Amino acid sequence: MPPWIQVFALELAVTATALVVLVCDALRPCRARTLAWFSVAALATALCTSFVVEPAGTAPHGVYAAGPWSLFFERLFLAAGILGVLGSLDWLESRVARRPAEYLFLMLMSLVGAMLLAGARDWVLLVVAFELMGIPLYVLAAYAKLDGPPGEPQLAAEAALKLYVTGAASTALTLFGLALVIGAGGSSSLAGLASPDVAPLASAGMLLVLAGFGFKLGAVPFHMWVPDTYQGAPTPFVAFLSVAPKAGGLVALVVVLLHGWPRHHELWAPALGVIAAASMVVGNLFALPQRDARRLLGYSGVAQMGYVLVAVCARSESGVAMALFFLVSYVFTNFGVFLVLHAAAENSGGHALDQITGLSRRSPWLGAALLLFVLSLAGIPFAVGFWAKLFVLLAAFEAGLVGLVVTGVVLSVVALFYYLSVARSTFMADGRSAEPVRAGLALRAAISLCLAAVLGLGLWPGPLLAQARLAAAAFGGGP
Amino acid sequence: MTHLLSIVVAAPVVAAAILLCLPGSARVAVRVVSLLGATLSLAASVAVAWAYDRAAGGLQLVEDYALVPPLGIHLRLAVDGWGVPLLLLTGIIVVTGVLASWSVAKRDKDFFVLLLVLVAGVFGVFVSQDLFVFFLFYEIAVLPMYLLIGIWGASHEVPAAGPFRFAWRRFAVGGKEYAAMKLTLMLLVGSAAILVAMFLLWNEAGARTFDLAVLEGTRFSLTTQHVAFPLLWLGFGSLAGVFPFHTWSPDGHASAPTAVSMLHAGVLMKLGAFGVMRVGMVLLPDAAVVWAPAVGAVAVINILYGALCAAGQTDLKYIVAYSSVSHMGVVMLGAATMTANGWNGAVFQMFAHGIMTGLFFALVGIVYERAHTRTIARMGGFAHPLPAVAAFFTLACLSSLGLPGTAGFVAEFLVFVGAGQGAHAWWVVPGVLGAFVTAVYVLRACKTIFWGPPPTGEFAELADVRGTEWGAPLVLGASLVVFGVWPRFLLDYIDVASVAFLSRFPALP
Repeated sequence: MPPWIQVFALELAVTATALVVLVCDALRPCRARTLAWFSVAALATALCTSFVVEPAGTAPHGVYAAGPWSLFFERLFLAAGILGVLGSLDWLESRVARRPAEYLFLMLMSLVGAMLLAGARDWVLLVVAFELMGIPLYVLAAYAKLDGPPGEPQLAAEAALKLYVTGAASTALTLFGLALVIGAGGSSSLAGLASPDVAPLASAGMLLVLAGFGFKLGAVPFHMWVPDTYQGAPTPFVAFLSVAPKAGGLVALVVVLLHGWPRHHELWAPALGVIAAASMVVGNLFALPQRDARRLLGYSGVAQMGYVLVAVCARSESGVAMALFFLVSYVFTNFGVFLVLHAAAENSGGHALDQITGLSRRSPWLGAALLLFVLSLAGIPFAVGFWAKLFVLLAAFEAGLVGLVVTGVVLSVVALFYYLSVARSTFMADGRSAEPVRAGLALRAAISLCLAAVLGLGLWPGPLLAQARLAAAAFGGGP
Repeated sequence: MTHLLSIVVAAPVVAAAILLCLPGSARVAVRVVSLLGATLSLAASVAVAWAYDRAAGGLQLVEDYALVPPLGIHLRLAVDGWGVPLLLLTGIIVVTGVLASWSVAKRDKDFFVLLLVLVAGVFGVFVSQDLFVFFLFYEIAVLPMYLLIGIWGASHEVPAAGPFRFAWRRFAVGGKEYAAMKLTLMLLVGSAAILVAMFLLWNEAGARTFDLAVLEGTRFSLTTQHVAFPLLWLGFGSLAGVFPFHTWSPDGHASAPTAVSMLHAGVLMKLGAFGVMRVGMVLLPDAAVVWAPAVGAVAVINILYGALCAAGQTDLKYIVAYSSVSHMGVVMLGAATMTANGWNGAVFQMFAHGIMTGLFFALVGIVYERAHTRTIARMGGFAHPLPAVAAFFTLACLSSLGLPGTAGFVAEFLVFVGAGQGAHAWWVVPGVLGAFVTAVYVLRACKTIFWGPPPTGEFAELADVRGTEWGAPLVLGASLVVFGVWPRFLLDYIDVASVAFLSRFPALP
């Protein structure tokens, strides 16, 4: 075994877990419960180990660099994987009992792709990792083809098709753009485009690559698939879809722009600024009239991506650190909100806002959790989302992006309207039914983890911020 | 290092945490724990007033804990001369507010939890010496209001009329959910403005700290001051009910349950005025002097417009709510005078109005609970079945119109003296005119509701004040009189801070 293999230790561990799950089930069909708890245990072990033995070093030809930067994301994705598996368990058992292994395998492989992104320093590895993350998602979106909640239209096929078509189109755009960029630079290294003056063709290529990433992020104007897919795909999977690939898309974007093309910022920075502002505006305004909680959260996710792009626009080390903080906050908060929604919808027969009314009466604990998550998304103090939004805007302010800051601040007030309308249907209205909401152990565990993270980091953001700064410093000083 | 201020802020939070662990069916325990938490805060506030050395002035009882070290955010608690009376005010209103909510029937545990969280935020604002933490507490004080009004409030249908009829119908104007959303959104637009101004100051000070003492030591450039001051004025001002950003106040206060109206009108609006003075004027003296005519002119509009609106209302709670808009104008007018008397009057008016409006809302709550109506035209002769309510209501009315011997008089007198000494002596005229209009509407309301022949029919058998309901009228009524005849006690605290802050100002024209 070559010595550099240890830089991929965590990815290899997850891959091995995925293969074990698949092969075991193929040899002797296992219960979803067994496979899922095994995966969770494996991911948790990997996560804990990463705090003891920190992989560091580079792979041959400099295609991959492990260090605090990549480690930060690997940990984040491992945590997202744990939440994703835990959150899906009950649903897997009750709805798709026949084929749990494939579901877990696909989710874990998507995770491996996401984990590879942060350290990638070569276009080939980056694109392969990006597709490894993306392709399983198309399958997963269609997983519950006819198993959606009773009483709602079965939209999984439509959701998956939309995700697939836009995803494939974005890949095509990226690859076409890359052909131009690599052709101009003459190297497949990310930093291969050395000269600040690039041919017009290469600059067109860069914008095409940017557009390709924009699709994965769900940033305006590449956001059309987001609400439809969120509405149609199974909710526990949407919880995963709404965080992991978005975080993956963002880290890829950061690596490409700030590591690969820092000298070409005059070309991409204005475009990115427009995308960020448009995402905040469109996401927040389109969320206002939504009546389906999943569509509402879809548009809210578009807006959240706008905020994190603001931090990238700052093009500073502190901006990157704040973006990392924002991503962590977003992962836990959005996971939490979708999982609570899933629990509520399973018991009320739908995801419409007026179908989850009175949740706090039926289950005070879930109601309080949903309120906290929504307030965190809205950026209310003492939930982690507040610090996230604040840090991002602060970084942008330091970089002199006053226009973006004002846009962000004003729209966060607009956002409060629809976030509060979720709180209103949860808390104020008397529900249609008074039956207590039942949620399985795994789902409750996943929601509790999110709750602990949102509250804990909200009350004590210092340590995570320090970690994010460390990672950002390692990135800035990297190769 | 003492921990008095931590106790003041933490007591309601701890009480709220204990409530969360209690079963919702333990109704008495819920109330007792809430009352204990509130009382502990009040007791600690009194201890703070006791411990504060009036001769020395400045910041005292300092506590400092690092919160987010990379950004220089510290939980830095300390109290100055303005903080002491406002802490006392908050303590008094909270305790009486808990007593006044003894009869809340629906989801009472949740109600008290939110109320206590809100209260912790209010206490926090008055003792934070870190601008950022100040803002955090400010948000905490504003947000629970949404749920408190939305769940426990009372809807009041405003008939849809005028050119915006369709919009009124669409948003159910007057409904409690409308009021809750309007209040929250308007106040958060304000806090967005505050946040931007805060960033500006933080950036320009360059010391990577939000410590108010450091920011006070920085002389900000005139450009920054002129950008930041209006942001802070309108941002905090929206909570203080500054015209034209006062429109959330009548709807919100009228829809809110009794204790929430008491707290909101009694204390939260003061947070706004306190913010304008403590952050806006003290940190940005040059801009404050230039903007003072605008602040004063708008305050005059507040006084007169609020009073005239109050005179036109038919709903008892709306009358009291508009009177708050008018009285907060007096606070802002005092602030705009930039004189020691004016500022003393402004802070004293915060205290006096807080107590008075708390008393008003408590009494309105008692009346509403019995009569189930707030339309004053339907009432009459209530003094016969409700003699105690009538007596206290009259006392509040007298303080409201500024009768000597009540706290309201001291405050208005100081503000008008300050206005006379300041650069714009004509402000006295509309100020006094406002006091006159106030006399008209409060006395008319008092007459319509309480005097006249005994009521017949459904109102004949109303029961007078009883049990825990006595708490609010007794404590608040006594405070109005005590601090009306012995204002020195509070003014000694206030003056030492006003003089110190004024010394930062450039020579006035």
